[in-house]
Amino acid sequence: MSAGARRGAEAAVRERIPDVETLVRRLGETDYLADEGLATALFFAIGLPQPLLLEGEAGVGKTEAAKALAALLDTPLIRVQCYEGIDASEVLYEWNYPRQLLRIRLAETGSDALAEEELFGDDYLIRRPLLRAIEHPGPRPVVLLIDELDRADDDFEAFLLELLAEASLTIPELGTITATHPPIVILTSNRTRDLHDALKRRCLYHWIDYPSAEREAEIVRRRVPTAPAALAADVAAAVRRLRGEEVQKAPGIAEAIDWVAALALLGVQRLDADAAGRTLGTVLKYREDQELVRERGLEHLAVGDGD
Amino acid sequence: MATEPSRGPLSGPSASADRPDGLAATEVPALAAAFGRAVHDAGLPCSPEHSVRFAQALALARPSNRNRLYWTARTVFVSSREHVTAFDRVFAMVFDGLVDPSGPRGDRTAPPFEHAERRGRAPQPGAPAMDGPQPESDRPGDGLSAGNETPDPDAPERLTAMPVANADERLVHKDFGALAPEELLELARLMRSLEVATPLRRTRRARRHRHGERLDVRATLRHSRRTGGDPVRRVRRRRRLERRPLVVLCDISGSMEPYARAFLQFLHGAVAAADAEAFVFATRLTRLTVALRGAQPQLAISRAAAATPDWSGGTRIGLALQHFNDRHGRRGMARGAVVVIVSDGWERGDPELVAREMQRLRRLAYRIVWVNPRKAARDFVPRAGGMAAALPSCDAFVGGNTLAALSEVVDEIGARR
Repeated sequence: MSAGARRGAEAAVRERIPDVETLVRRLGETDYLADEGLATALFFAIGLPQPLLLEGEAGVGKTEAAKALAALLDTPLIRVQCYEGIDASEVLYEWNYPRQLLRIRLAETGSDALAEEELFGDDYLIRRPLLRAIEHPGPRPVVLLIDELDRADDDFEAFLLELLAEASLTIPELGTITATHPPIVILTSNRTRDLHDALKRRCLYHWIDYPSAEREAEIVRRRVPTAPAALAADVAAAVRRLRGEEVQKAPGIAEAIDWVAALALLGVQRLDADAAGRTLGTVLKYREDQELVRERGLEHLAVGDGD
Repeated sequence: MATEPSRGPLSGPSASADRPDGLAATEVPALAAAFGRAVHDAGLPCSPEHSVRFAQALALARPSNRNRLYWTARTVFVSSREHVTAFDRVFAMVFDGLVDPSGPRGDRTAPPFEHAERRGRAPQPGAPAMDGPQPESDRPGDGLSAGNETPDPDAPERLTAMPVANADERLVHKDFGALAPEELLELARLMRSLEVATPLRRTRRARRHRHGERLDVRATLRHSRRTGGDPVRRVRRRRRLERRPLVVLCDISGSMEPYARAFLQFLHGAVAAADAEAFVFATRLTRLTVALRGAQPQLAISRAAAATPDWSGGTRIGLALQHFNDRHGRRGMARGAVVVIVSDGWERGDPELVAREMQRLRRLAYRIVWVNPRKAARDFVPRAGGMAAALPSCDAFVGGNTLAALSEVVDEIGARR
């Protein structure tokens, strides 16, 4: 790795985001409203640079944070969705065996000689997300989002750790590839299992809480511009109340946005019991939860100025 | 603490002119190191690496107010939501000089659990741990385990080895509730020979296997390049097998008190052997998996005892189950898992809630095993409100009040649906 190139990349990023205030403002421009804590965490993820582990309830905007970051840096977002049994070959690279085989056959029948290096050239390499993130030519580093890492097995975690620490990888046939612009890494977890301490030690950490009602209303309005401001505020208050109830799956910001979009589509101006009843399926996804809320009375949700 | 709380980094008069915020460049590393040490002393996982990172972060963005400083420090030092409270306390202590430095007591990562015990917070369970005799020294305990045949990979997935040495015979059939403290210690040793293992399930992931049911096209083609492109050798794959997760919820309310210590030992064994998730509950649910981890059983159990706030409290089984379902089970911990509930079913709350939460749990779990140590009593009828409500959702109902009965529990854990 040439140190000069790396410093250049950092300068390019730093120019765009000189301090936390700028980051908050520019995130706002991409319609992502971050609070002080999250903005500080993102700023250091970029500036130190250090992988950032984001945890929080489903639907508080963990993935969105990475997307917004990529958007404001004007750089690609490369996403790895983790699942049980995910494998290195599915995220790094693979050789295109069928194509190599065809090439061999072609060489046998035809007259052109085949060099081995040719078979292991660029044409035959299938690049998976992590390799693409490391190879990214710049001018700014990509944002690499490792989504729902808790779903992957722990050996994948260990492999990832090593890769992230080095920002380089070795392909036996090609040699070692080192990132000229080490990616900005955001990891998310829903805490279905504890991540390994070694991974946590190497990462910055931020727990994303639900936003305040005002902020949530603002977020919702940014996402659903057609919705009246009063409706957004009503829904934000109602969703907040639902989170306080003993529902199995508390609605996230995403659900609030869906709800407002649905209400706006119906032409509703203020949230009332009738409108809430018709659209309850957009916020509560369990039958028991819906029953519970209906039992307590939908008017309870519609009281806009409760808290 | 090396930092003087009176002179915070923000308020203190500037020692050097080059930094407008009053932090001399040379002070930053010292401050970061001192704060890191304070965090470490509070029992949070923290290495010098963190302090270095903190110093870098401070150099990168000079915090202009307390809030920014707080978030900078928290981003660097905190690695789990559970640590936030403890961290806040350290932060306040160092930067505001407000909090009593004797530190967090309820935190399970904090070291002083022995002291907590001497204060008498954990009555039964912790007490014999510290000064009891070491049982291994005078007892030839090696020939006990029946599990010395070589394991056959295709053999039944559950192995239950019962300790049957003469000297231990009396312990095997003695009710846990009637054990003396030194007998409990021996019990811990005997329990180690119980092999807790859940049934296997197939994962998505495949592994190369000579008799696998699926053809690995990629590997076959790769090999065929050596034979001129003809696929002479076929490579097969077989789905990998994995143990199902195990979750144990143990009642430690007043009515279960005689059994609590013994079952905590069982929990420790389950965490160690089967990577189980362990919870205890009385009035509220407490996760003990982290506290119970570690090779030293007595230490782990003392730590667990100190981390549990509601020893011998009233029983709220329904609430505990609801809490478990909401916070852990639905998120994946209970999905496809074997769930073991140890409780006598004496519910102070609403049996309705127990019934409802058991049904929810049943929809998530692979099997539910209910262990009731009172089942062995001659006049036992499962009439306690909670028990009757829970039974329809259970796959197995066992006693588990003696070591012999516990092997039945182990059998049920390994049973298929």
